[in-house]
Amino acid sequence: MRIAIVVLAATLGTAWAQDIKMPPAFDKLAAKAEESVDVTLDSGMLQLGGKFLSDKDADEAKAKKLIGGLKGIYVRSFEFAKEGEYSAADVDALRSQLQPPVWSRVVGVTSKKGGEITEVYFKTSNGAQIGGLVVIDAEPKELTVVSISGAISPEDLADLGGQFGIPKVELPKSKGKEAK
Amino acid sequence: MRPRLLAVLLAASTGAFGADRDFDRLVKAVESRFGVQRTYIPLMGVASFFVKVARPEGASGFKLAVFEDLKLSADGDGAALDRMMADASGDLRPLVRVRSRRNHEWTYIFTGETGKAARMLIATFARGEATIVEVDLNRDALLRLMENPARAGGPFGK
Repeated sequence: MRIAIVVLAATLGTAWAQDIKMPPAFDKLAAKAEESVDVTLDSGMLQLGGKFLSDKDADEAKAKKLIGGLKGIYVRSFEFAKEGEYSAADVDALRSQLQPPVWSRVVGVTSKKGGEITEVYFKTSNGAQIGGLVVIDAEPKELTVVSISGAISPEDLADLGGQFGIPKVELPKSKGKEAK
Repeated sequence: MRPRLLAVLLAASTGAFGADRDFDRLVKAVESRFGVQRTYIPLMGVASFFVKVARPEGASGFKLAVFEDLKLSADGDGAALDRMMADASGDLRPLVRVRSRRNHEWTYIFTGETGKAARMLIATFARGEATIVEVDLNRDALLRLMENPARAGGPFGK
């Protein structure tokens, strides 16, 4: 996953206004990374965008409905010059917040060949909607975390990839990839 | 004047005035932090014409401040810039922050709401120079920005 998917955080603190908190170590990673990107689409920004979407246009109406249920979209991405610049402990600090029964890991893919780990977590919610989503994509020289806070229906998830600064997550299918 | 209309006008003017203050505050913060003055751009009106031609569709209300001869160190200024931008951004919302050690470049994008659309402030620090841009976005430009926030700074800040 390229870091060009980029992304901010001007609070510049460690806490996002969301369901999970970014580990303090991530700020240190930003200082070490060759490139780091933070993107923050908080509820205010999403509401602002939603105001300008039309109910008459089918695509815009769909996007408006999607945005309406969201509280925030946050992307944090790091690209390092060499391997080993971040540790498993850095990622574990995030994973430790994604525990059952509130969170469920629905995808866990590890590539032994490429050293890539992709994990997707859903926040448990009543009914047909998910209460939130976290994607972790860890490669030897890249680390990307996407957090989506708010109600999302599973059928809307595919529409979010490639929009709002969210990278498209393509799960590996080739040999050498083993699902956990 | 009807009270409702007056309220709308006041709200709109307050938002716009606040955003102007944000731009000025950022400019002063850079001047104070680095001990420099914004560069005078001769024939800014002529320059604005070309900027108008070049800027993306849906953007208006262009304001620009350029700084030169900033002493930026590759390793030491990231946290200091973050703090300065956080302090100077006021009520604006942070949208994008990009740090590139490779290119020795930092980009910050903040957004604020105006009466009809959104206002965007972009600050770029690179190679001893800084650029601060304020621009208003109409509906379509705002939606394009939200679609791909990370690329928002490109047409303006670099």
